[in-house]
Amino acid sequence: MSDIPVTADPGETPTGTADARTVVDLTAAPEVAAVDVPPELLAQSLGQYLRAWWLRVRSGDSGVLPVVLGIVVVAVSFQIANPKFLSPLNLVNLFEQSTVYMVLAMAEIFALLLGEIDLSVGLVMAISAAVVAKLVQPNGLNWPWWAAIIVALLACAAVGAIQGSLVARLKMPSFIVTLGGLLILEGVGIIVLGGSLVSIGNSRFTNEVMLYDIFYGQFDPVVGWILLAVLIGAAGTGLWLRDARRRRHGLETPPRSLTAMKIVLMTVAGIAVVAICNVNRAHFGTIEGVPYIIPIVLVVLAAWTVLLQRTRFGRYVYAIGGNPEAARRAGVSLPAVRTWGFVLAALTAGIAGVLFASWQVSLTTNIIKTANSYVLLAVAAAVIGGTSLFGGRGKTIHGVLGGLVIGGIYNGLYLLNVSSELIDIVVAAVLLAAATVDVLSRRGAPRQA
Amino acid sequence: MTADAGETPTGTADASMAVDLTAAPEAAAADVTRELLAQSLGQYLRAWWLRVRSGNSGVLPVVLAIVLVAVSFEVVTPEHAFLRPSNIVYIFGLSAVYMVLAMAETVVLLIGEIDLSVGAVALFGGVIAFKLVQQPGPAWPWWAAILAALACCGLIGALQGTLTARLKIPSFVVSLGGFLLFSGILVVVLGGANGNVTVSSSAPNQRVIYDMVQGLIVPVVGWVALAVVVGAAGTALWLRAAARRRQGLVAPPVSLTAIRIALVALVGVAVVMICTVNRGTALVTVEGVPWVIPIVLVVLGAWTLLLQRTRFGRYVYAIGGNPEAARRAGVSLAAIRTWAFALCSATAGLGGILLGSFFYGQYSTNTADPGQLVLYSVAAAVIGGVSLFGGRGKAVHGVLGGLLIGGIAYGVSLLNLGTLATPLEYIVPGGVLLAAVLVDVLSRRGTGSVTRV
Repeated sequence: MSDIPVTADPGETPTGTADARTVVDLTAAPEVAAVDVPPELLAQSLGQYLRAWWLRVRSGDSGVLPVVLGIVVVAVSFQIANPKFLSPLNLVNLFEQSTVYMVLAMAEIFALLLGEIDLSVGLVMAISAAVVAKLVQPNGLNWPWWAAIIVALLACAAVGAIQGSLVARLKMPSFIVTLGGLLILEGVGIIVLGGSLVSIGNSRFTNEVMLYDIFYGQFDPVVGWILLAVLIGAAGTGLWLRDARRRRHGLETPPRSLTAMKIVLMTVAGIAVVAICNVNRAHFGTIEGVPYIIPIVLVVLAAWTVLLQRTRFGRYVYAIGGNPEAARRAGVSLPAVRTWGFVLAALTAGIAGVLFASWQVSLTTNIIKTANSYVLLAVAAAVIGGTSLFGGRGKTIHGVLGGLVIGGIYNGLYLLNVSSELIDIVVAAVLLAAATVDVLSRRGAPRQA
Repeated sequence: MTADAGETPTGTADASMAVDLTAAPEAAAADVTRELLAQSLGQYLRAWWLRVRSGNSGVLPVVLAIVLVAVSFEVVTPEHAFLRPSNIVYIFGLSAVYMVLAMAETVVLLIGEIDLSVGAVALFGGVIAFKLVQQPGPAWPWWAAILAALACCGLIGALQGTLTARLKIPSFVVSLGGFLLFSGILVVVLGGANGNVTVSSSAPNQRVIYDMVQGLIVPVVGWVALAVVVGAAGTALWLRAAARRRQGLVAPPVSLTAIRIALVALVGVAVVMICTVNRGTALVTVEGVPWVIPIVLVVLGAWTLLLQRTRFGRYVYAIGGNPEAARRAGVSLAAIRTWAFALCSATAGLGGILLGSFFYGQYSTNTADPGQLVLYSVAAAVIGGVSLFGGRGKAVHGVLGGLLIGGIAYGVSLLNLGTLATPLEYIVPGGVLLAAVLVDVLSRRGTGSVTRV
């Protein structure tokens, strides 16, 4: 059904409505905001800001609030069911496991924002994992680990470019292109992996160790704290200086107390994560420190947030997702932006594939089925996080938060010895519930076609 | 946004298939396709050729593709084994599943939606039917078990249809969730990852289900049945055309009706002849038409009647062609859409029962991959000529597309490709699906009815 909305609603334009709870999202594009300002941006005091925010939540545009509540509910209920759930060991496991879902959800968000869907992200992930693992095999091609990663990501981007061109230029429906693509990639994956087991777990080879450590390596606790301090210092100063500069130039700026609160929240969250990760979680010996994948996910999150919120490309993505015809008439090249959206989705799925290879260590053709089932998790994570299925609404951070919910559900049910098919049933129910919430909240907004 | 004349639900008569001779007269009066006005065979063929060239090629591409696939596999398979009677009958059995699933998918595609859960729902329906005839166990009579399974599936479809039609959640998301949900429930019903359920050919009640694909009709009965079917269909065709002519309505030329009847008879004789060749060994005789062929024909007949000759069918085409126009004409979009999903899932359930029968009455978690089944059924429908954009397609397209997919799947497996065999099972249908959609998109482009920006 192509229900092309006839009226462009001001609330949906790519202003990147600033979000109170997430620091990285404080990125209302000033030139657009001048035309069409959400009430939060005009708020002069913290009280005004909170009132404006509450009004927005009640009008249906609840941002990350539902998913944050979801995380709390998941954490509390599983902790009651099994006291091990919130133990440092399990929490670090949960973070690690969730990172793959998070990155894959961030991939899917590129397609969803455009009003399309990419059902092949799971298999693109599997292809990337297979290529990386295959290229570094010491008795095979024996490539350096970084070259393997680059080639795998390029291969994924090429897949995305082909699928994106079919969707954008030939106007084939995206779900069918990516469904056919998924099937072809399934065959390609079997060819790449061959019949044998491909492992990156041999500690005698540096290249394999580097890949292995992406998922299983961790910083020394002291280094973790130093990194945190540097990160918070840089991000906090950046935020503060930007607001100060905006204020100096007389632009709309959030109240000072809000900026301070954001920095404090960020610091508290950061300290909590590092403190949990630095607890010794080994039964014997010592395993402690922040896993490498946490900063890796943060880098992907930051890069895609900047791309979507602060660049022309990002604004075009939101414009097309909000109203393709309006975007076209405004001079946006729909085929180019759509193709790039699919390229970025596949590229990000490729990054998830590198994490996935590192996580699985030993790859057989069985991973292809596993990876394929992750598509649903990616869509579910993105939608649970607050990204709309109808395009034009959502942010990269939604993928991270939604991925954490999915990871929490998987991990929690697994701890309770629930069988995998029952977990699938629960995830399906969560996906349908999230889609229903998405649809119902859209209905409140005036642009529901 | 413009309704194309060739797209309206007049059921544009199709030269090559007898069952399609179903132009709704009241619609035809308003908006007549050229073939309907043709007075002679020559005029008719010219009008048909014009339509094909304008992009609305009907079943022509898929029929050509079936011929092409048959010839090329016959040439490349070792010992030219592809067209042996035993292989052809095996392909009928395998394709029957895809045919029924493709017909299920067709009705949802016709309203411009998609159902990605048909594979999982089909397997679920099959397992339910198999479970209900178990002895010891519920030990229901076979017909009650089949009806209950179809009702279960219909209910699932109604639920998914309600979410799509009333809550307006996109159908691919609803059915994607349904796919995951019922893939999981399927394993639970089967009793875990190693669970299985079997119907035996030695228990009389279970044997009916076992025989749906595996059972064979005695050759003599096959010939008699063919004579009856062709006689009845031919007489009906002839009488209807004569009645129309008598009442001064537009009717196809007499020669065309005769050619159609001859074609039906010819295809029927060919199928029965191939099936009655003894394809067993020196010791065991295996001959006769498999039961699954009349079963598929009945489903095809029912779907064709429903879509081409009832008000429901016309509403389905109307919604698929232009939902807003249908709504303004007073069609209840929500009700028709919900029914379409319910009927799709019920038909899929039948496909699942056939699937279990095809695998010698055994159902396990490894019997079939629900995801692959969905892809095959969507591919079969689209290859057959059903448009992904709604409003264009017929049940017979699902049957022809299913035959093509089944033929390709089996042909590839005959090729002895070694390590390439498994990957090609995925790559070939994926490529075929994309090619079919590409043809669909390009042919729609000519008609000016692609609504996407």
